[in-house]
Amino acid sequence: MARSFRWYDKKRGHRRTGSTTLGRAGELAFFAFLCLLGGVGMVVVFKLLIVPQWRVNREFREHTCIVLDTHVREKEQDEGTVYRPEIKIEYRIQTAENQDDNYVAWTYNIATALDSDAQNAYSFLPGKEEAAAIADRFHKQQQYPCWYDPADPKIVVLERGYAWWLWLVFLVPASFLLIGGGGLVYAVLHWGKSAEHSAAIAQRARHRDLFGGNGRGERMFPHIPDGADITSSPGTRLQFRLPIGTSPGWALFGTMLACTVWNGIVVVFAAVAVSGHLDGRPDWFLTMFLIPFLAVGVFLLVLFVRQILIATGIGPTLVEISDHPLLPGGQYRLFLSQSGRLKMSSLAVGLICEESATYRQGTDARTETRSVFRQELFRREGFEIRHGVPFETECAFAVPDPVMHSFRANHNEIRWKVVVEGAAAGWPEFRRTFSVIIRPAEESPPHE
Amino acid sequence: MSEPAVTIRFDGNGRTYRPGETLAGEYRFESLPAAEVKAVEVSVLWFTEGKGDEDMAVHAFWRLNAEDGTTLDPSQPQHFNTVLPNSPLSYEGLIVKLRWCVRVRAFLHRNKELFGQKTFRLGDVPAVKALP
Repeated sequence: MARSFRWYDKKRGHRRTGSTTLGRAGELAFFAFLCLLGGVGMVVVFKLLIVPQWRVNREFREHTCIVLDTHVREKEQDEGTVYRPEIKIEYRIQTAENQDDNYVAWTYNIATALDSDAQNAYSFLPGKEEAAAIADRFHKQQQYPCWYDPADPKIVVLERGYAWWLWLVFLVPASFLLIGGGGLVYAVLHWGKSAEHSAAIAQRARHRDLFGGNGRGERMFPHIPDGADITSSPGTRLQFRLPIGTSPGWALFGTMLACTVWNGIVVVFAAVAVSGHLDGRPDWFLTMFLIPFLAVGVFLLVLFVRQILIATGIGPTLVEISDHPLLPGGQYRLFLSQSGRLKMSSLAVGLICEESATYRQGTDARTETRSVFRQELFRREGFEIRHGVPFETECAFAVPDPVMHSFRANHNEIRWKVVVEGAAAGWPEFRRTFSVIIRPAEESPPHE
Repeated sequence: MSEPAVTIRFDGNGRTYRPGETLAGEYRFESLPAAEVKAVEVSVLWFTEGKGDEDMAVHAFWRLNAEDGTTLDPSQPQHFNTVLPNSPLSYEGLIVKLRWCVRVRAFLHRNKELFGQKTFRLGDVPAVKALP
């Protein structure tokens, strides 16, 4: 059925998607605004800050002056008091008619000279000592070099040079201009194009990008990870050693960081609450408010201790595989090595498949993961691993056929993993994962 | 007068294809005057459904513009064909579903659009059942 402009597109599940046209118009307006803001900002920064400095260094004429007075001006701001040195000077300039014009001005640098009313904060310094030190360099009734504006001799300075921080100020409008400009080009390129047309353009650009995607592998098997990181490490027993999903060291570091930061903050508030109780002025609101935060802190501490035990007590787990990537129906061998000094209740290896979906909920991006396939490859119960003598085993397994291959897109993913799960007496249960890639059994040559 | 519509038909009435196989078919517009059509886009694409935000990628794309001098006669069936890729295969998961389709979009005057799509299966991956 033919349709014209809609405020809303079709409803997807429980979510209603917005109008594409309206969305793109909003996008265009947003980036145009950013671009305009950046452009105006650049002009303002350039005209107000850069050009005056450049003129002082290039166009102002050198002259001499007599210092009449010095002082440090103070200015009250919301952030506190700021200061600037001001030097009162007298200088004579001969006019074209051979007359001497006498000028008296309070000045120091170009920011001060152009801001005689002391309105702009950028002509001030944060420290009084710094401003006073500058003012002290000038002595009354002594002669100093100065530079005046030939176009307006009333504008005079005692200090030349470029302030480095001015170039940093440029970064603010420049970033607005860059983001706005880039977004504007993107929005204009996609304006009036259907979602399929935009996707086709993006895909062509990706294929042209020799460094993007997975090169030939990506074209042979679009949206299947090429698994180059998996085959980069040769095994000692079988062809490839699989990289571990999250190493125990990183997991330990992560939990340590979370535990330290969380408990560090909670302890400060807890100290305030406890000291209130000790002083006989208990703050019950703060005390009650802190209880759930303390509970989370204790939980993180337990998690941290558990990770220490796993990382230090349970030795490394190595998994090697006879071939990679895997194919549905393919027969493979798997080698497992588990080190440590453990009385194992059970040690199991499984092949699992997980679906992962990322979706936006308000401003948050949430990811939900669901296991959809599990096949036990190996299990052994009630045995001991001795120190220096790792437990080693090899097993054969077949990938089921037909089965969904690995898949990765921006928001949706299908992941295959070899999972090693162990339970040892006196230790927390551990689970280590090793990613593998499954490709479709059938393949045809890549085409453009 | 009946509403304009798009009809898409696959050759051999095939609904399931294998990677590397040629997908061929035709589309036709009904009750659509030729003067109304500014452009027609035909895409062979996959998209996801389920819990996550939608992903979509176009495998083959054709655009016919009346402005370029291309004669767009909506009453005549138009053919398309493409060799299907190795992946991704159609998938009916628990929270991720992947569907292939041929989508035809006609851009009409007065900013109107006519849209039609027909799904097909690439590969024979069975639907997933929840683990016990």
